[in-house]
Amino acid sequence: MSQVGLATAAPVVRVSQGRRLRRRFLRRPMAVIGLVLVAAFVLLALVGPLVSGDPLAQDFGARLAPPSAHHLLGTDDLGRDVFARIAHGARVSLLAGVASTALAVVVGVPIGLGAGYFRGWLDSAIMRLNDVLLAFPFLIFAVGLAAILGASLRNVVLALAIAQLPSVIRITRGEALVLRDQDFVSGAVADGARPITIMFRYLLPNSLNALIVQATVAIPGAIIGEAALSFLGLGVQPPTPSWGVMLTTAQQFLAQAPQLAIFPGLMIALATLGFNLLGDGLRDVLDPRSH
Amino acid sequence: MRLYVGIGLAAAIAMSLAACSTPGDGQTSRGPTDASSGAGSGGTMRVAIASDPGTLDPTLANTFEARVVFTSFCEKLYDASNSLKIVPQLAADLPKTSADGLTVTIALRSGVKFNDGTAFDASAVKTSLDRHLTLEGSARTRELAAVKSVDVVDPTTLRINLRRPFSPLGAQLADRAGLIMSPTALKKLGKNFGNSPVCVGPFTWAGRTAGSEIKFTKSNDYYDASKVRLRGVTYRIITDDNARAANLQSGDVDVAEQLDSNDIPRLKADSNLTVKDISAISYQGISINIGNTQGIGKPSGTIDTPLGRNPELRKAFEMALDRDAMNEVVYNGANAVDCLPFPMQSEFRPEKPACTPYDPAQAKKLVQASGEKTPIPVDLMIPAGSGADRLAQVIQSMAEKVGFAVRIKPQEFISALAAARAGKFDTFLIGWSGRVDPDGNISDLVTSGGSNNFSGVSDPQLDELATDAAAASATKERAAIYVQTLERLKEIRSNIYLYHDRWFLGFSKEVTGVAYPADGIPRFKSASFTP
Amino acid sequence: MGQFVVRRVLSSVVVLVLGSIVVFLGIRALPGDPALALAGESADPAVLAAIRRQYGLDQPWPIQYIHYVAQALQGNFGISTVDQIPVSQILAERIPVTLEIAFLAILVGILIGVPAGVISAVRQGKLADYVATGLGLVGLSVPHFWLGLLGIWIFAVHLRVLPASGFVGLAEDPVENLRRMVMPVLVLGTGLSAVLMRQSRSALLSQLSEDYVRTARAKGLPHRAQVRHALRNSLTTVTTVLGLQLGGLISGAVVTEQIFVIPGFGKLTVDAVLQRNYPVIEGVVLVTVSGYVVINLLVDLTYAWLNPRLRLTGGDS
Repeated sequence: MSQVGLATAAPVVRVSQGRRLRRRFLRRPMAVIGLVLVAAFVLLALVGPLVSGDPLAQDFGARLAPPSAHHLLGTDDLGRDVFARIAHGARVSLLAGVASTALAVVVGVPIGLGAGYFRGWLDSAIMRLNDVLLAFPFLIFAVGLAAILGASLRNVVLALAIAQLPSVIRITRGEALVLRDQDFVSGAVADGARPITIMFRYLLPNSLNALIVQATVAIPGAIIGEAALSFLGLGVQPPTPSWGVMLTTAQQFLAQAPQLAIFPGLMIALATLGFNLLGDGLRDVLDPRSH
Repeated sequence: MRLYVGIGLAAAIAMSLAACSTPGDGQTSRGPTDASSGAGSGGTMRVAIASDPGTLDPTLANTFEARVVFTSFCEKLYDASNSLKIVPQLAADLPKTSADGLTVTIALRSGVKFNDGTAFDASAVKTSLDRHLTLEGSARTRELAAVKSVDVVDPTTLRINLRRPFSPLGAQLADRAGLIMSPTALKKLGKNFGNSPVCVGPFTWAGRTAGSEIKFTKSNDYYDASKVRLRGVTYRIITDDNARAANLQSGDVDVAEQLDSNDIPRLKADSNLTVKDISAISYQGISINIGNTQGIGKPSGTIDTPLGRNPELRKAFEMALDRDAMNEVVYNGANAVDCLPFPMQSEFRPEKPACTPYDPAQAKKLVQASGEKTPIPVDLMIPAGSGADRLAQVIQSMAEKVGFAVRIKPQEFISALAAARAGKFDTFLIGWSGRVDPDGNISDLVTSGGSNNFSGVSDPQLDELATDAAAASATKERAAIYVQTLERLKEIRSNIYLYHDRWFLGFSKEVTGVAYPADGIPRFKSASFTP
Repeated sequence: MGQFVVRRVLSSVVVLVLGSIVVFLGIRALPGDPALALAGESADPAVLAAIRRQYGLDQPWPIQYIHYVAQALQGNFGISTVDQIPVSQILAERIPVTLEIAFLAILVGILIGVPAGVISAVRQGKLADYVATGLGLVGLSVPHFWLGLLGIWIFAVHLRVLPASGFVGLAEDPVENLRRMVMPVLVLGTGLSAVLMRQSRSALLSQLSEDYVRTARAKGLPHRAQVRHALRNSLTTVTTVLGLQLGGLISGAVVTEQIFVIPGFGKLTVDAVLQRNYPVIEGVVLVTVSGYVVINLLVDLTYAWLNPRLRLTGGDS
């Protein structure tokens, strides 16, 4: 049983282990492709807007123009440069995806670990609240938040984080529940380890498998979620260029200018694919059980 | 639902006047009833409407779509013609006003029956009008505010006593206030009348699936039944513009209303479809908060924003807007660009409206002359997800060129409405469904204490002009007062009127005889399928 | 087991009550109210006040809540403010629609997702694994509403083989009903199958590396039997995921419902919030929460059945 290995390995060992993990990761072509895609996506989000030009500049003379040397990806219905909007949109997508997932993990993991470790009334109370959250129609949250806060990126991140929270709590708690019964944990408890130590040094590292799988679904899911909320008019609002908003507008011009729909759609798919591949690779490498 | 924000057609939360030429007049219906379409619809026409009509109780109804549905099963005392003149429907003649303007006599059609067989007469009309006036929550009370009482003179004559001379009465009775309900059904259903309403109409109620569809079948009691060809009409609620167009193209519906102007070229190219269009009586514009400090219904105050305190800056803002380019870019040039709240067909329009011209150079000068620090910040509230965002982005970019920094603030619709009523906005991109009578496009919108006066306009001179115009009876006299009213309105410049919508109705080539008059409400009384 | 069920049912009631209070307060925190939404252009104070009185909105909220609960216990969920139709009737019309979609989508998801996951885990690193994993990733990466739009475009508008949208009741015309369900169900089902494929692959891989499988392998148990054991244990994870997804499906079908114009639950929900249709929102939440609670109970029972260890510890999961 190698479950203890990751968490209890001495620091010295960890360095060489890190190198080994890296080597293992790099041996997987799919994982590397994923890393490249994600890196390209992040690069686009960080650097793209600096070089792409103004995503808001309208040119009524050049509306719905096809790709050309002047407009790399053509222009949209208001004569704005699609490449510039894609580049700025990458920021929004990245932020929506990463921030919402991070928020859900930061809030959800300690709650889930606590519930799984302590069990009893605390677990019951947390899980009932979680049930309310999970059972509560997400859309009512999303629409309600949009009504109160106004439709915006902040609202999207919050809504998506709330949507992910129950899954994170449930999965973490489920893992903790099972791990708690394992010998190495009971051993640590018997040795008088503090609950916080057990939760974060024993339970958390061993729950990473499930959490990474969850996160690899969650980040790209949130990227798509942002697009979907925008599609319903609850998300990021124009003129902010977001891929979701671009798709929504493009829908009206599908017949005249399909490229308007193709590029943002492709970007969403690629970014999502990148995260999924990367996540798969990471899990294969990090999870000793899969070897 | 709600206030009209039919910017683009996406919002489609519209309400506009139920005016119409008597459908079928001058239109030859072809094909017998049972010669149904190849789509196998069995003589029932399937019509895609753009939003839920809400309650179909004539006293409580508030939506544009309810007006659309009413035309199939619920007739009114009057109707409006294509040129927006009042014509009799259930009335036999135009209303006759006494010399002092305080008594109006209306002659009624005889031999008419409600769809439950009840006879239509003056006492039935009185029952309906009284209900409009007194039912708790009636949405008609304001429309009929000038009415003091209703008397039955004889079975075919009705007398309406007024509190003050009120020329728009005929127009009100050509709208929802003129809808007449079966007294038998009213007695039976009471407040639940809207669940299975019975009126006089070519079709009769056959059921409703909440949020999805409303069905009607041909009426056997209708006085003009010989003109009715269809076996029935089914209204399907399809809120998404693209879905409405797609349903039409795929033959899942026979008719689709409020089509998006951007879909029109494609639909026109489809050999199976026909597209009709009209210039609607609704308008779109920008309401600028100039005095709504504490909310609608409270006294107006002073708004301390550059646009709120300085009419010259509002002028500059208007001068920055190129309405033609806007129309071209956002609506494919479909809408009727205008600077007045009156419909293009209205006989009360000045012959040559003196619009504020598009003049960015002059606008820039005004901005500089104002002494404000540029760019001048302006918040523009828009209803989220309504398609208004495209227009807002164009406004933003035009205004930027003369020195305004417009920040677009999308709000979910009811939130936007709540904010607008509370006075928590700088500028608001909002429209009005429009009324046939000019009074309905001025009073209550820009008069003191008006319930839709978002801008908080409170100008004694304007109030007086509006009252005088409503009391005047001769068209010429009224028109002259409206010229002054519009002039004063332009000086105040609380509203920048942008355009009147153009509405599109698409239908399958097999469909014939659908009337689509200026109010944008399709009528199916004489519609049929070609064999 | 009986005690376990009783405890679960009791805690479900707690969830229901909490949920109903949360929504009751939540919707009243939104700007605007049914009166404003209903009155529209006729929003003068008298009309607004009359509407508020009609729906009891002029009362303090605790009284409103007690009144609501009292009525709800008698099966009266109020009247929709938008169309004056009883909420129970609206719910009765909408629930079967969404249940049908959810059921069919889950069927599609399981039929595609689980076998694909198993194959790719068993044949890890082989061509089949790459193909299945690749398709799973594409399924996850394509936005569903986009898939739906493309579907309408291709199958309804260009090829005209499937209806663009709209809904026909199952009882009314079963064939037409299914025909109209094809696109929405495929759009929802493919996304779901991608999730299920990944989860079942990952769960099975984990189990295959567990000690008991290794022991079995060392003892010479045939590969097929090893997989069968591992599969049974990995179903725990798959069941959890399915339970999680079902809750999401019921309210999350909204985008699909919106695109295909299906009068389901999701569409009802969004419309109700946008129109501040309090009685309908409350009804929707009550039904969703109850539905979730029941599904959850079933998932937990399956869980306990699949994983005896949890049953022994009385796992209140």
